[in-house]
Amino acid sequence: MKIPWVLAICFLFSTAAYGQALDLKDLDKLADKAKDVTDITLDGSLLKFAAKFLSNDDPDQAKVKKLVAELKGIYVKTYEFESDGEYTEADLAPIRSQLRSPGWSRIVGVHSKKEGDNAEIFLKTGGTDPGGLAILCVNPKELVVVNIIGKIDLDELSALGGNLGVPKLDLDKSKPSKPSEKKEN
Amino acid sequence: MSNLEDDLKAALRREEPPADLANRVLARLNGLPEPTWRERLSVLVRPPRLQWVALCMIVSLLVPFGAVQYRNRQGERAKVQLLLAVHLAGNRLHQAQKRVLESSRMDTRI
Repeated sequence: MKIPWVLAICFLFSTAAYGQALDLKDLDKLADKAKDVTDITLDGSLLKFAAKFLSNDDPDQAKVKKLVAELKGIYVKTYEFESDGEYTEADLAPIRSQLRSPGWSRIVGVHSKKEGDNAEIFLKTGGTDPGGLAILCVNPKELVVVNIIGKIDLDELSALGGNLGVPKLDLDKSKPSKPSEKKEN
Repeated sequence: MSNLEDDLKAALRREEPPADLANRVLARLNGLPEPTWRERLSVLVRPPRLQWVALCMIVSLLVPFGAVQYRNRQGERAKVQLLLAVHLAGNRLHQAQKRVLESSRMDTRI
């Protein structure tokens, strides 16, 4: 009689741990339509394992090592399409629905009517939850979803992004960060 | 000295075998059962013990070496994935911040 209870408790704990990450499985069907797909899944154990191989001598790798020290998982999915309209807003609905759940709050939303770009940044905070970050970049020919679980320094992460050819910006750090919504025309 | 020589001569002197020795040996050999094909084959494939020891030593060295190599390869692959994931996430965050900053600068000018 005790075994089913133990199994049920184990199942609840496992789903709770899994539930910290966004469920991105609904995007898998887009892989057939996309010309280029990047799918990176680094859960807690794999993340720690990967971090061990980062060199302390390389300044960039040392920064990444420090950045991911408190992370529980990184999930990235990118899809590049040949033409516009290969995916619809309905494909993103399951993810948006998860991002509307309690704990998640949108801190940045950038829309460009001219180019059709749409970038949104969500933060998860509160309670015993380790917190997290979600980035949703929607472009007519490209879709990028990033989900990071754990405590993360956004400035450090952004600075590392500048190494990919994007020049580092001198963002005014003296101003307190607050939720912003900007529309470009 | 002469006693020793006598003793040696006595010990090493040729003795004729019994007359029926050859017949008895041949009879015994003919009485032995023929080895089966499995027994003949097993003789061919049975390596000497020294080879087994050498083989065990090589395997005991190769298995940990292979395991370490496999682990390192997996780790390097995971590291590349991690760096790519961090760069992708950072790049998108950076672009969003840049656009927010540009928009706020435009607002300020207006």
